[in-house]
Amino acid sequence: MQSSTNAAMGRTFGARMRRAVSAACLAVAGVAAATAMSASPARAEFPEKPVTLVVWSGAGGALDTYGRKLAELLEKDAGWTVKVDNRPGGSGAVGMSQIATQPADGYNILVLTGTLTFGIAQGLIPFKVDDLRLLRAMQSEPSSLAVLADSPFKSVDDFVGYMKEHPNELRVGGHSSGGFHQYMLYQLMKQGGFESGWVPHDASGKVTLALLGKHLDAAMMTPSTGLSQVKSGEIRLLGVTTEERSPFLPDAPTFAEQGYDLTGAIWRGIAVKAGTPDDVVASIQTAIDKVTASEDWKTFQEQQFQDSPDWAEEEFTKQVKKDLEEQSEFLKAAGFVQ
Amino acid sequence: MDGIAQSLGIIFSLGGLGVLFIGALLGIVVGALPGLGPSIGLSLLIPFTYSMSPELSMLLMISLYVSAEYGGSISAILLSTPGTAAAAATAIDGYAMSQKGRANEAISISLTASTIGGILGGLALLLLAMPLAALALSFGPAGYFAVGLFGLTSVAALSGGSLIKGLLCAALGLALATVGIDPIAGTPRFTFGHFELYEGVPFLAALIGLFAVSEAFALAEKHARGQGMDKSGVGHVFMSLGLWRETWRSMLSGSVIGTLLGILPGVGGNIACWVARDYARARSKGSEAFGAGAPNGVAAPEAANNATVGGALVPMLALGVPGSPTTAIMMGALIMHGLHPGPQLFAEQPALVYAILLGVILAAVVQYIVGSIFLPVLARTVLLPDGVIAAGILCFAVLGAYAIRNLMFDVWLTMGFGVLGYMMKKFSFPVAPVILAMVLGYLIESNYRTALVSSRGDYTVFVTDPISVLFLLLSLASILVPIWRAWGPRGRTARRVSA
Repeated sequence: MQSSTNAAMGRTFGARMRRAVSAACLAVAGVAAATAMSASPARAEFPEKPVTLVVWSGAGGALDTYGRKLAELLEKDAGWTVKVDNRPGGSGAVGMSQIATQPADGYNILVLTGTLTFGIAQGLIPFKVDDLRLLRAMQSEPSSLAVLADSPFKSVDDFVGYMKEHPNELRVGGHSSGGFHQYMLYQLMKQGGFESGWVPHDASGKVTLALLGKHLDAAMMTPSTGLSQVKSGEIRLLGVTTEERSPFLPDAPTFAEQGYDLTGAIWRGIAVKAGTPDDVVASIQTAIDKVTASEDWKTFQEQQFQDSPDWAEEEFTKQVKKDLEEQSEFLKAAGFVQ
Repeated sequence: MDGIAQSLGIIFSLGGLGVLFIGALLGIVVGALPGLGPSIGLSLLIPFTYSMSPELSMLLMISLYVSAEYGGSISAILLSTPGTAAAAATAIDGYAMSQKGRANEAISISLTASTIGGILGGLALLLLAMPLAALALSFGPAGYFAVGLFGLTSVAALSGGSLIKGLLCAALGLALATVGIDPIAGTPRFTFGHFELYEGVPFLAALIGLFAVSEAFALAEKHARGQGMDKSGVGHVFMSLGLWRETWRSMLSGSVIGTLLGILPGVGGNIACWVARDYARARSKGSEAFGAGAPNGVAAPEAANNATVGGALVPMLALGVPGSPTTAIMMGALIMHGLHPGPQLFAEQPALVYAILLGVILAAVVQYIVGSIFLPVLARTVLLPDGVIAAGILCFAVLGAYAIRNLMFDVWLTMGFGVLGYMMKKFSFPVAPVILAMVLGYLIESNYRTALVSSRGDYTVFVTDPISVLFLLLSLASILVPIWRAWGPRGRTARRVSA
């Protein structure tokens, strides 16, 4: 950690720059919004022109697949014309700034994930939750404690018991540093009273490969990351962070049923820029209702092993603010932010 | 065996052959344009594949993927602007050949080598998918670190006249690779508050800037001074027997290297092309001027970058885990059709799996046919005046830079790299080591640190992991062998020629 002073200097400088950048963005957006409003005095039924889904990750991967399915079904079920625009980068900040620089008219819809709150809490995303109207959480996936079939651990208690006696001995890892999966492990550590290191990986697929290749002893990962191996029994899930057993994984026990109060999921959903008028938001919600009611969507969710939280704006926003608070605490305690 | 028969039925239907040819044509074009690589090509295709059967959509995507890996070399050879990252190694000897009036030969070598690489990579996927997947799993962080280090030893071969200059440029590349979010601590480094830099300096911006933009400046300057380069058209794409005899070994070694590195997630064609070139150079007896237009300097990297396609599909098909951004997009397309790639797909959808496996091989053949028809036409671009070419390169460079992430930030960065590359050319600093070090820097650093986190700070992990030991020894050999040769009796002549 000898670079911490450098990092701190970088952060203050960075924060100032970010403030300047976001101020500029807001100013531009304000002007743009004002022109857009004055240009359309009488609004007809939304949408009057093609809508852009701004996906804040690159092509390929779970978020992009969700965004593209949503686009397909919005065209099919709601009769919209939809364009998918991948804006990867900056842990989501690039996608968010893309939304921030467009008018708040609902024609640019951000497709984002629960890493939003981690990004904000870590100071990586220079925006606030209030810069968005969070419209709907449509998918969610839990984390799980996974080991290989030949591992001696058969339950969460086996794992926790071993870790208590041999602190830091096992190689435990998962996707990203200071993200959702590490947060879940951190909560398990607190409840189980053990110490564990964390081996971060820069892509979720690499976690599965590391587990299969025995470069990790245990992983915290979304079950669908190693779907083939979970199905075939090659990977055993000791605990899943859902409240009840998932219908997709009836054989995988939850943490809750083993006496650990550990629940959490990473959501995927849509948001628009703050200030988007209520009638436009209502039109978007109606269109989303049509999508979620369709058979195509239900089949897609099942095939993808996705839970459907279907939180609308109020509940979604409440949940996100709660996540942000809890995660900020974790990041401070774990030393990721001062 | 029903699966094979069924899949052949699909491939040799009108629709099957149709999508293979369309994919090859599109692939060559997106490959040849700097910045538009296979990933962007595939993501543009996705919406069109919704209404196709899964088999046809996979054939289309594979054909585009294979040909895009090849297409990158056309612009690399003719204009010194590699269309894809994996064609960067080809630009060195390929462009040197075309400046000597041997463009026709260079193009024919690259098309033939790419086809052979594609076929051999496809055969490896067809026959050895499971053992290759097991091999990929045996690479831990220590192993990846050693592979990266091994790749870095080829800097010496890219240094041109002065090893010091080569090392300086490599150091610059490694320094650039440290920009971005720290892979272990998760905090941003050297980003100066620009969130555009969290994922690091975009590698494509450096590639397009250092190779393409700088070459456009140099061409414009030459044009202004009236020093045109030798123009040579491309008449046909068939290799002479002499060239075959000269390059077939490099094609084979390149294919093997490409397949093996292709199976490793995060390694792939961007690194395989350099390793294959370096291997071919080390094997040549010093009689050939690598860097000044050696046919083997085109054959080896071209075979390697196409062979990585077969390799990259190994983790996706055998394990259900995508090994590269491009295969992640293909996997996304399969998921859209309600299918999950993985070992169980062999039992559930044999026709689809065999269509993919055989598709790789056939796509390479189709690429050869499409290439041999269109290349003589495409290659006419070099006959244009230098000023026009320079303007054209700049246009496509800006387009490609913007296409990376749809950010103007990347365009300015690319222009900055262009100016840097132009100045480096003026002072005869080689640009290739910067690119190589940027590709490898992140791989080496993140895996070095992951290995140490996993071992809780125990450095012996690098000598107890057999794969790590193997590649560390290879690295040592690739540093020591040239030194030993330089001290040997033939040393002085060899040194002068390879410079």
